Amino acid sequence: MTTLTFDASTDPILERRRQIQGIARASVSRRKTYSKIALGICWATLVIALIPLVAIIVYTVVKGIAAWNWTFFSQPTKPEGIPGGGIWNALVGTVIIGAVATIVTIPLGLLGGLYLAESDGRIAAAVRFTADLMTGVPSILMGIFGYIALVKVFGYSGLVGAFAIGMIMLPIIMRACETAIRGVPGHLNEAGLALGARRFTIARRVIVPAALPGILTGGLLAIARGVGETAPLLFTIFGTLYTQWNPTKVMNALPLVIFNDSSSPYPDQLQIAWGAALLLMVMVLVLSIGSRLLAAHLQKERR
Amino acid sequence: MHDSPTPPTSRRPRRTGRTLIIGVLAAGTLLAACSSSSSSSTTTSTAPGSATTAAGGSSYLASDLKAPAGTINGSGSTFVQPFFTKAFYTYSSKNQGVQINYQGVGSGAGVSAFEAGTVNFAASDVPMQAADLAKVPASSGPVVQVPDILGGVTLSYDLPGVTKRLKLDGPTIAGIFSGTIKDWNASQIAALNPGVTLPSNAIVPEVRADSSGTTYIFTNYLTSAAPATWTLGVSKTINWPASAVATPKNSGVAASIKSTPYSIGYVELNYAVENGFTYAAVKNAAGVFVVPTPASVAADAAQKAVVTPTSFSIVNGPGVLSYPIAGYSWAILLQKQTSSTTGSTLVKVLDWTTQTGGGQSLATSLHYVPLPPAVQTYARTQLLTVTGPSGQVLLTK
Amino acid sequence: MATTASMPTERESRQHGRFSLSNGAYRVILTVGAAIFVALALWFLYAIVSQARPIFDQLGVGWVFGKVWNPNHNQFGLLPFILGTIETTAIALVLAVPIGLGTALALAYLVPPRVKATLGGAVELLAAVPSVVYGLFGLVALAPIWRAHVEPFLTSVFGWTHLFSGPNDGVGLLLAGTVLFIMILPTVVAISRDVLAVVPREQVEGAMALGATRWQVLRKVVLPDARTGLLGAFTLATGRALGETVAVALLIGNSDYIAHSLKSPAATIPSLIVNNFGEASGTELAALFGAGLVLLVIGVGVNAIARVLVRGKTGAAGGAASVAVA
Repeated sequence: MTTLTFDASTDPILERRRQIQGIARASVSRRKTYSKIALGICWATLVIALIPLVAIIVYTVVKGIAAWNWTFFSQPTKPEGIPGGGIWNALVGTVIIGAVATIVTIPLGLLGGLYLAESDGRIAAAVRFTADLMTGVPSILMGIFGYIALVKVFGYSGLVGAFAIGMIMLPIIMRACETAIRGVPGHLNEAGLALGARRFTIARRVIVPAALPGILTGGLLAIARGVGETAPLLFTIFGTLYTQWNPTKVMNALPLVIFNDSSSPYPDQLQIAWGAALLLMVMVLVLSIGSRLLAAHLQKERR
Repeated sequence: MHDSPTPPTSRRPRRTGRTLIIGVLAAGTLLAACSSSSSSSTTTSTAPGSATTAAGGSSYLASDLKAPAGTINGSGSTFVQPFFTKAFYTYSSKNQGVQINYQGVGSGAGVSAFEAGTVNFAASDVPMQAADLAKVPASSGPVVQVPDILGGVTLSYDLPGVTKRLKLDGPTIAGIFSGTIKDWNASQIAALNPGVTLPSNAIVPEVRADSSGTTYIFTNYLTSAAPATWTLGVSKTINWPASAVATPKNSGVAASIKSTPYSIGYVELNYAVENGFTYAAVKNAAGVFVVPTPASVAADAAQKAVVTPTSFSIVNGPGVLSYPIAGYSWAILLQKQTSSTTGSTLVKVLDWTTQTGGGQSLATSLHYVPLPPAVQTYARTQLLTVTGPSGQVLLTK
Repeated sequence: MATTASMPTERESRQHGRFSLSNGAYRVILTVGAAIFVALALWFLYAIVSQARPIFDQLGVGWVFGKVWNPNHNQFGLLPFILGTIETTAIALVLAVPIGLGTALALAYLVPPRVKATLGGAVELLAAVPSVVYGLFGLVALAPIWRAHVEPFLTSVFGWTHLFSGPNDGVGLLLAGTVLFIMILPTVVAISRDVLAVVPREQVEGAMALGATRWQVLRKVVLPDARTGLLGAFTLATGRALGETVAVALLIGNSDYIAHSLKSPAATIPSLIVNNFGEASGTELAALFGAGLVLLVIGVGVNAIARVLVRGKTGAAGGAASVAVA
């Protein structure tokens, strides 16, 4: 009869167990170290990313806020060397050009987005691919397209500028709408169909309202992108010192003012450029943050 | 008899009478307005066709010529831009309803826009030559070119530590902008500036990235003053050396000079003064180093009394007081205007802009030189040839 | 919650005169909408190609790779500008991919929830800055620093490679590339963060339950799952960098020659077009449109490569990623 003795220090099973625990401990500490280093790098990149952000914002605010006064907002731009100028005509131009572009592209983009969301065939794939391509077209090419296609025929005007900006906005809105609509749970569509409703009715009363947060977000972001563009305006709207409400005439716009006055030797003009830059930044920020807030608010209502 | 409708013939006398009275009243009002708005000085007639008054004579009011309300668009030279924008602003503030939009994009772009028919007039520091004129569609008719201002091109530089104004001559400037003279303490520069301690830093030449009439005037000077050294030609666009930093527009080059130490570039006098630049004294054809000022530019221009689109260059003029890098800027329009209202506004604005007492009186405050009397006369003669669709002369009262 | 009351029957709709469309009409209108878009896109493509055609007719295709751009002598080589475009974009991406990805990871997983919204909003704020302001800021604030500190430092460290030869101008490839990096950073971060945040929570929590460290979770679960969307983010950022005009034109020094060092002035295709378009006519105009066409082709090539890489791996994340952030 063999006697089983249990010696904790030499037992092979315990030994093996201790080995495994040792490996695991070493592994954990090694993995934890790697993790700490990697996460530390991530934090570092966050800090690095914030530095230029803070610098630009602070710089623009400091330089721009000095320009903001009643004259700045109420007076049109004046020639170099003449004091008392402002950006009223440029603000009017930006708003009108943005409005015209928006009025045309939002409905068209919604239709296109609905088409893409509801179709899966090869034609739809081609349209989707075209939209992806068009979102990546450099805005300068839209500017020279607007010049060749329209300015040579109709002359410089705010409408041509709105066209060039609209061409940039349209594919963005289309894809945003498609994404938002595809994000609506399928069972809502099916429920509508099961109730015997027409597709148009379902789209109008169920799908689009459900997708509205995404559509609004995409739309407002596209508008923000559109009004901030400079290159499409360079060869299309010409610029003017006068306050022009009629988009069929030449107009001025905030990005154009910034671009033209950015290297002016007159401190008045330069300050106006910074003021315009701050104004444009604020407008675009209000649009983009407003879109998120609106989307969140609408989401809440639906719950 | 009375209940039948009165025959039409019996109405005419009454209508005619009423019309006649209104017509007389209108004409009378117009005549009164005309005579009351014309200048009160001794020179009674400011009607076009009569010789312009000398500087200091009757003021040429913008309202003297009744320009029809409307919008005209022009584009081109940044050389003349500060003058044009101020002149047009002054004009339209006295002529409500007339809007003149001027876009400073460089002489080349202005001429191209004019050739494409997208603007009513162009501004270029070098008049359109045969090759450019060939690009204007034959159906548009002949082109009228009018000198509108006189200005100088400075060699402005940013040289930390050197307070004395540098002297430069044609071959040296040519060497700097060809890239053969690379450092500030090069022997050629030192030889011209004895006693000045020049830093050893590399020179950064600041040039135009766009098609520029200022470049044309500058390279025209270099070809004239340093034919052996300057090999890059005379043009609105030049193949600058690789070390040059190029920026569009006079204002862009000015901004670049301002922010780049050890740089030197060519900008019009207005930009140099407004930016507080230091600029070089350039050796003229008489061997004297002259600082660019309105007076020295005027002295250079005085050497050539008659300028036309085919004989327009005044660079490197003789005379001890002349600043050698100077030139006229030109306004370019079609002789046969297709719209009598727009055409009328256009010639009246340009006439006011090019005459003493009108726009030219703004020149000096902006560091330009007003057009000499002979040149003003030439400008007016040219503008008088502009006609409307039915062949009528547009520059009328 | 939609109740039946808000779903009118066919008869009700027609009785109350509410506007409705038959399925057929609805489909037609949608198709027309899409067709209008496609027509506009084709018009755009046609305009660019037909305007560029004269120079391809005259000089074949080889001119695109020519080294000299001198319109006065009828020379229209595009190589300096193609290289300039690629080089500035490359500098921007080399900086934006690691920093943007790290920041997005930090925002999505590491940052406490209360701070998340603020920082996220801050990143979006950066995206709202117009490009011309970037150009201004780069010229006024950064160029002096580049000239006085950054370029000398890099030259002292890397001067042994010929990448850092030449004078310290301040403006040039390096500055343009760096400002371009700042400009595409918000695009990369915002889209990446959205993409990273929609990784299924079950997978993340499952990995953590198995004892993975946070980094292992990110590396082995989150990143692979988000790969498609991340590639989409980087592609979009590349596209933005390729086409950037105004800021680059202000910062790149506008030299028509092939740059020999990262500090040299250079030019990109967009900056070439914006500087020369106004005055170009005839062959030069066709050359500029040709340059635009080349830019389009490069952009499409970038897009196509991205699509090949992500073939068959579409998902909701990929879809969300394609909404371009302003």
